[in-house]
Amino acid sequence: MADISFSNERYTYIHDIHKGSIQAIDNHHIVVRKSNARGFLLHICILTFLAIACYLFLLKEKSSIIYLSSILLGLTLVRLLHWKSVVKESVVIMPAFGVQLETHYGSGRVVRRFVPMGNILRPVLNECVTPVTCYWSLALIVRGEAELMLVFKELRPPVKMLVPIWKALCAAIDIKESTDEVAKDDH
Amino acid sequence: MDGQRRHRILMVSDFFYPNFGGVENHIYYLSQCLLKLGHKVVVMTHAYGNRSGVRYMTGGLKVYYIPWRPFLMQNTLPTFYGTLPILRTILIRERISLVHGHQAFSTLCHEALMHARTMGYKVVFTDHSLYGFADVGSIHMNKVLQFTLADVNQAICVSHTSKENTVLRSGLPPEKVFVIPNAVDTAMFKPAQTRLSCDEIVIVVISRLVYRKGADLLVEVIPEVCRFYPNVRFIIGGDGPKRVRIEEMREKNSLQDRVEMLGAVPHAQVRSVLISGHIFLNSSLTEAFCIAILEAASCGLLTVSTRVGGVPEVLPDDMIVLAEPRPSDMVKAIKKAIHILPKIDPQVMHLRMKSLYSWHDVARRTEVVYDRALRCPTEDLLERLSRYLTCGAWAGKIFCLVMIINFLLWKLLQLWQPSKDIEEVPDIALLHDQRETTPWDSVED
Repeated sequence: MADISFSNERYTYIHDIHKGSIQAIDNHHIVVRKSNARGFLLHICILTFLAIACYLFLLKEKSSIIYLSSILLGLTLVRLLHWKSVVKESVVIMPAFGVQLETHYGSGRVVRRFVPMGNILRPVLNECVTPVTCYWSLALIVRGEAELMLVFKELRPPVKMLVPIWKALCAAIDIKESTDEVAKDDH
Repeated sequence: MDGQRRHRILMVSDFFYPNFGGVENHIYYLSQCLLKLGHKVVVMTHAYGNRSGVRYMTGGLKVYYIPWRPFLMQNTLPTFYGTLPILRTILIRERISLVHGHQAFSTLCHEALMHARTMGYKVVFTDHSLYGFADVGSIHMNKVLQFTLADVNQAICVSHTSKENTVLRSGLPPEKVFVIPNAVDTAMFKPAQTRLSCDEIVIVVISRLVYRKGADLLVEVIPEVCRFYPNVRFIIGGDGPKRVRIEEMREKNSLQDRVEMLGAVPHAQVRSVLISGHIFLNSSLTEAFCIAILEAASCGLLTVSTRVGGVPEVLPDDMIVLAEPRPSDMVKAIKKAIHILPKIDPQVMHLRMKSLYSWHDVARRTEVVYDRALRCPTEDLLERLSRYLTCGAWAGKIFCLVMIINFLLWKLLQLWQPSKDIEEVPDIALLHDQRETTPWDSVED
């Protein structure tokens, strides 16, 4: 199991290869580094809501319904923040089989998308432009799809992290093409 | 690059392809020639329909179609500060050394020049039009121009008349303003292989049928010319609000068989319309530099035009007949043109145009302006604010306030997203060999 890793302020790139019986499964992970500012903000939110709840509880003339609803609102907001936050996104390349794209959330929920190798026409490094910024993204040109499929739906890793994944995807597609040719020759 | 400094230029304007016009053509051809001279050129414009994001054009010209929607006459909504984050990102990621804005009508251009100066970049501005001084619109436009040009390093105008107009409107020192005329792609505008017979004389008009382009003059000139010369026929290409008036004139004078209305003509078909005629008629009431005249002359047509703006500077006297923008004078000029028509050789005219007007020459001259701009001393905010204060009793103070806020926003952006966090883009050189290489081959896994 080979392991390559490097980081910047926001993300950590981890590349590990699982040696299987036939071909190695290539894993590329982009892990979100824990932000002190984000954690601090989350704790401030929790404390603020608790303070409001306690204040309402101490004011005897206010009903307990308001007190309970404020606690519930606080918990819901914290839960939402935690639920929506992305912990990591992964690209699992299974040569001659397909590519699995995974999004791991803070809640433990994992969203997986699988693209068969035969459907991938080409991986592309794209420059995305929004009204306020430009950034690099990695996408797949998928057969039969009108739009590009983004490899990282939630995160915006730097291009130096995208390049090795792009190269690995290119290599995997080349392997697929060569195995197809071998199969044709055998027949 | 022959020991010369290689510039990295950002062209900014609201007007660019797929929109068609003089400014769009100018930016495109100038960029192509600058790329050939070894400079890096990037264009920034707003999105056109679903054309958004980064596009690459011929010669590796990179275009950023920013997803800002136009709100009036292909102009983006003036936000003052809305374009600062995206512009800063582009300037850093493309390692730009100089910003070149085009056209006083363009809000994106004005905002980009303002932000670029705040960030300490050298800026050049090209004015492509003439403006009045009396009407409300012009007064406001001139104030905006005064604000923008108070802080540019160098300015370019397309004619001497345009330079005079810009200097008067903006209060810019004349020594900062260069005159670089437009050019024409002579390879695209070639005369017909066989010379047309002079038995029937065809006069071609290609312009937007609006007041500024003298459509009302045409209404009075065409019937007069048709009355004098039974062998004259008109072809009118273009569309606009004044088309109805021309069609009414055609009906009223029963000239349906002698005045052909083509409607809007796509740029790719302009040459085929031009080569079907002998004389090109331009009736503009105001014009900084008429590219249509160059295109017609390159196709071997003799030009009859109104003596307005920068038009007298465009062609040599033997290739154009000038007239005052009055119907009687225009008719006289057309008579004179018909008289000298047999002496005109379209092929000779085309070859002369080829030597007179070249985009490579325009690019070389623009390069000189860039060199001058980059040699200008770098000024701090206080030095720049003192110049804004001279723009008017109240306007000067407002301009200063706008610039101070812009400066603070820029500093805030630097804290929010430091320059080192913005990834620089590798330069994609066009490969002439067949090797499969990518800009990422140097990036380590």
